[in-house]
Amino acid sequence: MTAFTTDRRTLLAGAAALASLSALPGRALAQGAPIKIGTLTPLTGAGGPYGPVMVKAVKAVVDEVNAAGGVLGRKVELISEDDQTSPEAGVRAARKLIDVDKVSAILGTWSSAVTTAVAPLCWESKTFLATVSGADSITQLPHQGYLIRTQPNTTLQGRKFGEFCIAEKAKRVFFLSPQTPFAKSQFDNITEAVKKAGGETGSLIYDDKKPAYRSEIDEVLRFKPDAIIFGGYTPDTAVMLKDAYRAGYGGLKVAFGYAVNQKLVESVPAEVVDKTFTIAPSPAEGSKAYARLVKMIGVASPDPYTTQVYDQINLILMAIAIAGDSSGTAIKDAVRKVSQAQGGAKVDNALDGLKAIAAKQPVDYDGASGPCDFTETGDIADCQFRYEQVQGGKLTLVKIA
Amino acid sequence: MSQLLQALVNGVMTGTLIAVPAIGFSAIFAVLRYPNFAIAAYATIGAFAAWWANVAMGLPVPAALLVAFAVTGVVGVVAEETSLKRLRNNGALIVAIASIALNLVLENIVRFIFGNEMRGYDLPIARDMRFGDLRIGPQQLQSLLLAVAIMAAMFLFLRYTRFGKAMRAVADNPDLARLKGIDPAKIAIVTLFLGAGLTGVGGVLIGLDTSIDPLTGYRVLLSVFAAAVLGGLGSIPGAVAGALMLGIAEELALLVVPATYRTGVGFVAILLMLTFRPRGLLGERAA
Repeated sequence: MTAFTTDRRTLLAGAAALASLSALPGRALAQGAPIKIGTLTPLTGAGGPYGPVMVKAVKAVVDEVNAAGGVLGRKVELISEDDQTSPEAGVRAARKLIDVDKVSAILGTWSSAVTTAVAPLCWESKTFLATVSGADSITQLPHQGYLIRTQPNTTLQGRKFGEFCIAEKAKRVFFLSPQTPFAKSQFDNITEAVKKAGGETGSLIYDDKKPAYRSEIDEVLRFKPDAIIFGGYTPDTAVMLKDAYRAGYGGLKVAFGYAVNQKLVESVPAEVVDKTFTIAPSPAEGSKAYARLVKMIGVASPDPYTTQVYDQINLILMAIAIAGDSSGTAIKDAVRKVSQAQGGAKVDNALDGLKAIAAKQPVDYDGASGPCDFTETGDIADCQFRYEQVQGGKLTLVKIA
Repeated sequence: MSQLLQALVNGVMTGTLIAVPAIGFSAIFAVLRYPNFAIAAYATIGAFAAWWANVAMGLPVPAALLVAFAVTGVVGVVAEETSLKRLRNNGALIVAIASIALNLVLENIVRFIFGNEMRGYDLPIARDMRFGDLRIGPQQLQSLLLAVAIMAAMFLFLRYTRFGKAMRAVADNPDLARLKGIDPAKIAIVTLFLGAGLTGVGGVLIGLDTSIDPLTGYRVLLSVFAAAVLGGLGSIPGAVAGALMLGIAEELALLVVPATYRTGVGFVAILLMLTFRPRGLLGERAA
């Protein structure tokens, strides 16, 4: 367990808010049994760098809402557990949250392996689960609606790559990738996006341990692509880019943000990588919700997971309010009424959302990680992506959209 | 037709890239009678030594190649003398396994010194020259010429110098060579210096074409081994022939099988060769 420090200013603000509330005659103070919410984040293990900040973001929202009177007139109680980035420890911690603490929702599971292990416990006990894991398979679990995720899966990423090529007027798009677990789904979704716009796609899966890829590039060029999507990792992408340059390819080049990074840009001649675009999931930097989160937790540029878990707690508190019930089932039924209600009041934090709900308004929440709209299966329908381009030996931000 | 020709050209290019380290590997095998898998690390060390000479010291590529040769040669000899030598009496298998361990140690030393990031040589990159439908890279052509020159030098050395003749004598029959007054220990050192040095040069040639990182050598180890087996372990012309055949076979295979299976082609080649001609293409003696 971690110890939380509440800084004095928050405490004072909270106390002041409480005092002013109690001064209002006839207004009920938070009372009754508290609503229990759990976080299950990695505080140790591979995800260790992320978990503590994620908990801090959730805690900040809960404190703020409690200071303003809680939800349904009840206090929100936060219980944080460590999944140690391990499915086995994750399951143990989830059991404790569900059976002992009786939380109505668990937020923040990070590793896909942990989420996959914990999800059945949640849907069987009718506990709501919000996760930041990305593996395609997670939302295909028979979760009966008890699961949403704010992290884009490969399906969405593939679509973004395809749509980007089309937007750049490339109709013949070639996907070049080593054998990875997500290569097929990535290509299928690129194809779907490109075909919809009347384009054509081709793909080549290569062996990523070869000193040269001249023949592979020959095969790519026979397709006469307007755009090549480089789906590999840094070392093989560097060689591919070089061989494509040598072969005289001058069309659009698009790659994953993690492959074409500053290191790659520095290790190959400038003209080889110049004008290459990169695409990566991104928090909604520049949005009001993002700025608010930065201020609340005092972290200059919070990582995507922190922005996502911040959105998760906001959504869940609003869902409880609109349902008038704090059970996991109520959250499941109500969460889309606050995340994407047609014509709902646009809000970017739970406080404003709770006010709108109290005024009987539907709510459409856009958060620090993006629009936060969910498909039927619990996937995020759309999210912000960060588009950068190599210009003169530097990665330059093109847009966040 | 032009597809076939292009694949052939590409095959010769990749083949020569593998040939240089394959010669090093074969030379070590011929004299010391064990497969030295540490050549992967030697290739990486060569690539990094040349990178240091080229980027940090500003030397041109031929000079950087010499630096790589010298540095890797010394590393090869020192590594052998300090670790593998005392295991040689226990049989080839033990030394081979120890050389895998040595490879890991050396690779991680490179990682410790230079870090995990990729690096590239300070070289301008040129577009390919076109001859009708065929395209040939000037840089690859340069690597090809360098590789051919190195092979010729090696051939002349073995054929006409005293040391070369002594090496061949030890390779042929160590006991007889000793009776003739040749010191096998001395020959072993020279062979290792040459073999490791050549492998280092091979690493540079690969790096010139691509980028280098601590796994550069490891990525081509299997191809090099396959080439040497294909040509007949221990035979130097065999290593060259094997490398060329492997390169061409891999590129031609791309016309009919998906690119993912490229490494598989090398394995099938080894399998067929060991089944039907265990001595390899030009091997004199079954290993």
